Amino acid sequence: MSSQKKRSGIQIEAFKHRVVVDPKYAEKTWKVLEHAIHEIYNRNASGLSFEELYRNAYNMVLHKFGDKLYAGLVSTMTLHLKEIAASVEASQGSLFLEELNKKWMEHNKALQMIRDILMYMDRTYIPSTHKTPVHELGLNLWRDNIIHSSNIQTRLKDTLQEIVQKERGGEVINRGLMRNIVKMLMDLGPSVYQHDFEKPFLDVSANFYRGESQQYIECCDCGDYLKKAEKRLNEEIERVSQYLDAKSEVKITNVVEKEMIQSQMNRLAHMENSGLVNMIVDDKYEDMGRMYNLFRRVPNGLTLIKDVMTSHIRETGKQLVTDPEKLKDPVDFVQRLLDEKDKHDKIINLAFNNDKTFQNALNSSFEYFINLNTRSPEFISLFVDDKLRKGLKGVSEEDVEIVLDKVMMLFRYLQEKDVFEKYYKQHLAKRLLSGKSVSEDAERSLILKLKTECGYQFTSKLEGMFTDMKTSEDTMKGFYEAMGHLLADGPTLSVHVLTTGSWPTQSTTTCNLPPEILSVCDKFKKYYLGTHNGRRLTWQTNMGSADIKATFSKGVKHELNVSTYQMCVLMQFNDADRLSYREIEQAVEIPRVELKRCLQSLACAKGKNVLRKEPMSKDISENDVFFFNEKFSSKFYKVKIGMVAAQKESEPEKQETRQRVEEDRKPQIEAAIVRIMKARRVLDHNNIVAEVTKQLQSRFMPNPIVIKKRIESLIEREFLERDKEDRKLYRYLA
Amino acid sequence: MIMADGISNLCNDLQVDPQDIVMLVVSWHMKAATMCEFSKQEFVGGLQSLGIDSLEKFRDRIPSIRSELKDDQKFKEIYNFAFGWAKEKGQKSLALDTAIGMWQLLFEEKQWPLVEHWCQFLQARHNKAISRDTWSQLLEFARSVDPTLSNYDAEGAWPYLLDEFVEYLKENGIIQQKGRVLDLLGHI
Repeated sequence: MSSQKKRSGIQIEAFKHRVVVDPKYAEKTWKVLEHAIHEIYNRNASGLSFEELYRNAYNMVLHKFGDKLYAGLVSTMTLHLKEIAASVEASQGSLFLEELNKKWMEHNKALQMIRDILMYMDRTYIPSTHKTPVHELGLNLWRDNIIHSSNIQTRLKDTLQEIVQKERGGEVINRGLMRNIVKMLMDLGPSVYQHDFEKPFLDVSANFYRGESQQYIECCDCGDYLKKAEKRLNEEIERVSQYLDAKSEVKITNVVEKEMIQSQMNRLAHMENSGLVNMIVDDKYEDMGRMYNLFRRVPNGLTLIKDVMTSHIRETGKQLVTDPEKLKDPVDFVQRLLDEKDKHDKIINLAFNNDKTFQNALNSSFEYFINLNTRSPEFISLFVDDKLRKGLKGVSEEDVEIVLDKVMMLFRYLQEKDVFEKYYKQHLAKRLLSGKSVSEDAERSLILKLKTECGYQFTSKLEGMFTDMKTSEDTMKGFYEAMGHLLADGPTLSVHVLTTGSWPTQSTTTCNLPPEILSVCDKFKKYYLGTHNGRRLTWQTNMGSADIKATFSKGVKHELNVSTYQMCVLMQFNDADRLSYREIEQAVEIPRVELKRCLQSLACAKGKNVLRKEPMSKDISENDVFFFNEKFSSKFYKVKIGMVAAQKESEPEKQETRQRVEEDRKPQIEAAIVRIMKARRVLDHNNIVAEVTKQLQSRFMPNPIVIKKRIESLIEREFLERDKEDRKLYRYLA
Repeated sequence: MIMADGISNLCNDLQVDPQDIVMLVVSWHMKAATMCEFSKQEFVGGLQSLGIDSLEKFRDRIPSIRSELKDDQKFKEIYNFAFGWAKEKGQKSLALDTAIGMWQLLFEEKQWPLVEHWCQFLQARHNKAISRDTWSQLLEFARSVDPTLSNYDAEGAWPYLLDEFVEYLKENGIIQQKGRVLDLLGHI
């Protein structure tokens, strides 16, 4: 390297002739270095001069004696290493590893010194000859002469595994020593670590855990087994962090997972008396959580848990909805459903990590079994009715919302939402008309939720019912303001004017109202029609109620709350003490079935028998005779006799409702078919069925046979035609 | 207008039974609107299209007219024509008795083994008029579905009445549920 500046003065030039070096020079120099290496290995390096040795090595390389130097290094080191090997081999028992460790430390120190001395060779000779650098050479020689020496290799392998097994058996071992030995193997290269430690480690571990799992599975219950497996897993993780290569962690945990968890997981999950189903039933959150954490480590582990849970839920749910005992009380039935849902929600939350797939499985299971019972929609409506009638009395607003949200959750599971709507409407009508709703806010809140869920159409009629109630209030006020003076003597009238179409359909029946009632009703009718031209009013005598004051013998007075029919019957007894069935029938003109039910509630019900019947049989016959029961007594002043509360439908009523629902579905299906065909113009049968189902399934699941019949009806009415070539194809006729 | 009497006379002259199915084919050529009556236009127009100008010719042509039923395409047209022709004016559907009569007549020509069962089924279970769609689909059914129902496709978009007919045949053991029997054998 020449400097750019020109220097004045002395110039040193290279020899112009070849410099000949004394051949004996190389040998002499080498001997010095060889001696140094011996001293270093004998731990006698303090007397050596670093500078001199470095210079010697430098000169050898410079004068082209690098080969000799390198070869000498190799043979000298090898010599020493063989001595070391012998010494290690000779050590007994636990001293074997200690000796090995000691010698290894010493070798590293020596190697460092030697490397420093030979640094020039490392940096110049070695790169150009592509030979192994000194440090690496030292490691390789150690490996070949010590670790892989035939007397040491196997013994080392086995010793290491024995120590690990001892620790697994509960003994305390020298972890520091292990750490050093393992680190030594790692330093010698990944293949050494793997070949001489890791692979045998994994094989021995696999055998060990296989045996252990078989042993435990025979004598432990599921919870205990899982605890043991978890303990072993944690042990292995700790072992790796303490004295193994971090990369081994995933490999050893895989071994434990495979041998202790994967191979036994089916048996564990299904274990009698302690398996997953028992844990679910007994709410063993900790055990289930442990199972989740362990099983998630193996393929299909979580699927197994989910499947066992799902089939259990479906089974218990199915039993719940088909057990006639449990179906006796609808409110109780629905409460049980909610309790089941809460229980499983809690399990998924606390033990299964809120896993979304588990949530989905829970939801689909509920959807499955709730719809197994065709009365579920009715029962859920009755539950709501009970809550809105009395269950939510005095409950805070937040808690009301919680209950209503739970109801909505069940509602979402229903496939026949239109059936629910029908019952809900009926029950709501009764609540509104009897004034028995606990809170209008709660009612409105639920309707809002239904609207959000199902759209405006679902709830528009329900809202109409509320409007009618409000309007009627105003109408009554107006009525009494206008006609108050005329009505002072008569009975107090309260009228609800219901818009037909918003309210559940009822067929009107005949009923002769008592004259005093008729008079005030007529006045109302006149008043109303005076302000609302063009409307038609029909008295719904089957929906009304009355409060009447009755005087019994000895001046005993009671206020009776009765239905309109009951009122008509009782008023007859103002003019007579004794009336035959036929006389009553003739006077009130109420249809037979209704009249009999009415008389039964007045004469045969304990504590409410304001009438007496002869003969005293349970059923009403047309030959019966009725008497006003002078001796009637009740501890309450106000006695409620009217049946206004919503009840579970009788079998014939249920059939009737079901029939009406089916009738209502037909036009909805037809409308869907027409909509689809209008858009698609041409479509084949199966696709129409699929599309119709998709459109309507948020309300109910249409029956493919009904869809087919509707299509035929539409063909008949020339909305559609079959394609002339392909009979499975339908065409929209504009 | 030629009414029932006139037709009776015509049949006499042609030496053909008024119930003979050939009269249906003749009516088809005439595009007659209703059975048992021909308007002048229909009668004359029909004869013109057949190229018949004398009673003799007419009589001679009868066999060839009858043989037209053997042609599949023509049979289908005649069959479908029969629906409109046989039903009451102003009605959308065909009265059941008339339909059964027509079917028995038509399937005498075009052999369909299940025709008797079909008629029995209708009388026992249906008892209502027959829609046009059902009428025309029945021919397709008779043509494409094997009398043992081996190739009946439940997803085949057949009218509901035909699906019900298949059920009826299976319920009454008229058709063995072949598929199922084979399964059992397979497992033994």
